[in-house]
Amino acid sequence: MLACLAGAFASAAFTLVPGIKHVSSRVMGWLLAIAPVAAFVAITAQLSTVADGQALTWQIPWLPAFGIAFAFYLDGLSALFGLIVTGIGALVLIYSGYYLTPAHDDADAKSATRNADARFFLYLLLFMTSMLGLVLAGDVITLFVFWEGTSVTSFLLIAYKTKDEEARSGAFKALFVTGGGGIALLAGLLFASAISGSTDLTSILRNGEVLRNHAWYPVMLGLIAFGAFTKSAQAPFHFWLPKAMTAPTPASAYLHSATMVKAGIYLMARLHPALGNTEMWFWLLIVTGGATMLIGALIGLRQSDLKGVLAYSTISQLGVLMMLIGKEAPSAFKALAIGVLAHALYKGALFMIVGIVDHSTGTRDLRRLGNLWRIMPWTFAVCGLAALSMAGLPPLFGFLAKETLLAAEMEAVLPQLTRIVLPAITVLTGALMLAQAATLTLDTFVTRPGTGWPASHLDDGHAEVGHASHAHEAPAGMLLGPAVLAALSLIISTAQPAAIVALLAGAATAAYGAKVKVSLALFHGINLPLILSSTAIALGVVLFTVRRPIRSIPGVPALNMNRLYDGVLRSLDRAADIVTRTQGGRIRIYLAVILSTLFMLVILFGNLGRIFSGPALPNFGMRLLDEPLNTASALRAFGLLLAVAASFVSVIIRRDLLAIIALGSSGLAIAVVIALEPSPDVALVQAVVEVLTLVVLVLALSRLPRAQRERAETLNAGERGTTARNALLATAGGLLVTVLCLYAFASRPRTSIVTPFYEENAKPLTGAADIVGAIVVDFRGFDTLIEITVFSMAGIGVFSLLRLAMKRRETASLPTEGEVELNAADHRPLPLLPSLTGIDGVRTSPFIRALAYVALPLTFMLAIVQMIYGHDQPGDGFTAGVTLSLGVGFWYVVFGYERTKQRLSLLRPGPLIGVGILLALVGSVAPLFLGGGFFSPFDFGAALNLPLPKGFYLSTSFVFEVAICLAVLGAATFIIDTLGHPERDLE
Amino acid sequence: MEILKALSIGALFGIGLYQLLRRNIIRSAIGLAITSNAVNLFLLSVGAYDGVVEAYAKAIGQRSDALPQALILTAIVISLGGFAFVLSLLYVISARYRTGDNDEVKGLSH
Repeated sequence: MLACLAGAFASAAFTLVPGIKHVSSRVMGWLLAIAPVAAFVAITAQLSTVADGQALTWQIPWLPAFGIAFAFYLDGLSALFGLIVTGIGALVLIYSGYYLTPAHDDADAKSATRNADARFFLYLLLFMTSMLGLVLAGDVITLFVFWEGTSVTSFLLIAYKTKDEEARSGAFKALFVTGGGGIALLAGLLFASAISGSTDLTSILRNGEVLRNHAWYPVMLGLIAFGAFTKSAQAPFHFWLPKAMTAPTPASAYLHSATMVKAGIYLMARLHPALGNTEMWFWLLIVTGGATMLIGALIGLRQSDLKGVLAYSTISQLGVLMMLIGKEAPSAFKALAIGVLAHALYKGALFMIVGIVDHSTGTRDLRRLGNLWRIMPWTFAVCGLAALSMAGLPPLFGFLAKETLLAAEMEAVLPQLTRIVLPAITVLTGALMLAQAATLTLDTFVTRPGTGWPASHLDDGHAEVGHASHAHEAPAGMLLGPAVLAALSLIISTAQPAAIVALLAGAATAAYGAKVKVSLALFHGINLPLILSSTAIALGVVLFTVRRPIRSIPGVPALNMNRLYDGVLRSLDRAADIVTRTQGGRIRIYLAVILSTLFMLVILFGNLGRIFSGPALPNFGMRLLDEPLNTASALRAFGLLLAVAASFVSVIIRRDLLAIIALGSSGLAIAVVIALEPSPDVALVQAVVEVLTLVVLVLALSRLPRAQRERAETLNAGERGTTARNALLATAGGLLVTVLCLYAFASRPRTSIVTPFYEENAKPLTGAADIVGAIVVDFRGFDTLIEITVFSMAGIGVFSLLRLAMKRRETASLPTEGEVELNAADHRPLPLLPSLTGIDGVRTSPFIRALAYVALPLTFMLAIVQMIYGHDQPGDGFTAGVTLSLGVGFWYVVFGYERTKQRLSLLRPGPLIGVGILLALVGSVAPLFLGGGFFSPFDFGAALNLPLPKGFYLSTSFVFEVAICLAVLGAATFIIDTLGHPERDLE
Repeated sequence: MEILKALSIGALFGIGLYQLLRRNIIRSAIGLAITSNAVNLFLLSVGAYDGVVEAYAKAIGQRSDALPQALILTAIVISLGGFAFVLSLLYVISARYRTGDNDEVKGLSH
């Protein structure tokens, strides 16, 4: 089995081959055919094993947690389809090479199409792999994946002529229909796996009894059948197939007649032992199949496009096959196996012939073709042979197919009604098939152009001979494919090779689920099927002779699926349009909608009643009263009120700058509250961060156009309704959070498991008296490492977002000569003069400048002290970093961008971040080599016996603090530097 | 005190939301800062211990809970980074749409 698969999937590897540039398409076709031939041989080698009903399986786990495996399964049915896929695949590849080569030698055209040819081969091979995977899949999920693979490659092939509007819409239609079916199929298969307990094919086949008796059986079968019907172009989903004929003819021959459209047939046959033999199965498949058979045959006769004729006759034949699976009789499955092979052989051949005719004459229009037999005698001969099989005439394989079909329809096990109706429509279909086969052959090759068409169909000079004047016989290589297939149609039925008989028997047995005998005898004596068959032939001859009057009957305006499809798509578009119209793009509205939904959900499902009536809240009130009113609590209350008041001021104040300052006061008030917690470390960080936020905001503010901000503010004030809505939403949000806080405060645990551990171990394990500091740089040091990385990323993000965007705009508009000189002047070093102007060219006072000179060294000292003593006292590397950046920010404000850059030339954010993070990594990894673990503390000072001042430990914590400081300084400088850049406008 | 704290956090959050919902783009940024302050305050307040002394090993008495402190220390830092990034996004947006008005930023109609 493994060898077989390896051979089969060699075709996948071969998809790379089309990339080779120097080989002509013809040679390429021959080369690529090696892959399917190898697979063909590999499957043939296993035939003896699978012929007696055994199945070969092979699998690798894929999603073991879900019990899904990438599994393969080879039995008689898979083998038959696998051989068709690979055999016809090889012939189609060879044929394609010739088909793609322009008929009239033109070197330029050749090289131009070379890449396009490679694309075609690539799609074809991808399809081949998918199709082969589909018929060999041993797990329904695997099967589904390949199933979709065939849909996608089919789409690519139908739309192969991407510039052709019709090709694109045809491809979309095919994808829409088969893709929709694919989704239904997946659902159905999941049902089947859920009920049977496994996605494994063998297990599903074994559990047929359970599946059929399950309450969900009708749904499951409906979904699976929907998938199969859409794929196999069953009425009423058949309409995509004729539109798929825009694909290059080799693809039509391969996908849309021989293989892909039979995937649905394969699937139903595959699942028949598990899901079949029920009333629903019978009627579903019989009615659908029968209707498809008749509809396809009826419409086909009216087609003037050669490929159209073939497409409809394919639909008809697919209907036949689907109908056969519905019947619970061995003879039906015998007819199925024969029908699948017979159809693949003659239809594949005919499609390729049509391709040859098109290639040679430049048209596929039956009304313009005729009289070609003199020019293309060999093509004519092969076409005639294949058409005889299609017509169901002895001694060809098609005759045998029709005989067995008729015999199967008269099985005694079937209901009386179907035993009469089915043979009747089969005879009619057979007659129509014969008429079409005759049309294909005779009207193309023998009669004069226009014969058989009513005059009304021949306007616009259709009666012309077309391009037949420069038509020529096809090269031998191009005829090889159709000739082999047509010859097989003859050989199989006359020579009846034992291997083929065994193959068909194996396939029928696997599909039926019990032993089916197959014999290929052409003549069983004079019996009912033979009589019916003869009737069909006679009727067909009559139909062919009166084809002109039949075609002049106006078509019945029956329910046109294409129109329905268009209607569905149009209403989809319209619905999308309506939905899109609700998307006004106003972010405020989105936010409002999101918030309202959130509140609604809280009200509906939040269980608010429990919160208010629960035991937590009353206790809570008590505790509130217990609290002694002392200085600390009074200060806290003051801080909180101040924070709220300042925030409120930021709402009502009109000037943005003042609002930002109000925000700053609110944040500092919160810092006071935090300090009274008491948690000095956090308070310190909150304070410096708040100041930095302020700086950043002011810098950003200076870049947003003031006039527009004021206009927005005025407009905002004007919208009373919106203001009321926002106030309502904000109130609701505030209330919700208040309730949440109350509940959280009242119900929080009063003892912690983690905190006492930290409290006890901070000093002994990390040597830090500051427990918060110990947690940050030691216990949870890894968190902090990630945190500073994130912070650095934010800094880099700001930089790249603004600076790089600006640069791109600069390069986008190429500078003129004058500008180039100007730019060169910019890069000249500026004289190192004391600057009198600060940010935005505002004059600064000497006092402020002096302050700035003093402040920066002071921040350095502050930072160093914080890093050294941070583990025993408030402060840490982060505070140090932010403090430093505040000092730097002050310089930017006082001395302006250029001067600051010039004077603090060592302050390069990128390297700072890099060194910081690297140092943090080194510091955390170093203990590994000093006998500790990752991030474990190590005191270098003590280890080296360095004479250090009291309270200063040269330990890994210190290294880490320095690293944090550097990274934060780098990132903050990035932010200040970018937002403080004098470039006023991005435009 | 806890009730006052809850009310304050709620009020801060509400004010933040209101600012976020305004037309002026810089006010939205202010709103974001206020909401993240409210959230940080909330996280700090749900520690298990109501301390009277700071969380130092030498301190005597009921120490404040060190764990939420360490956690919001990280949170404050990250919100600063995020805030700066949001600001630069706002700047880019306002430059691209040539406006400082939230309602003028309607990418969908382009």
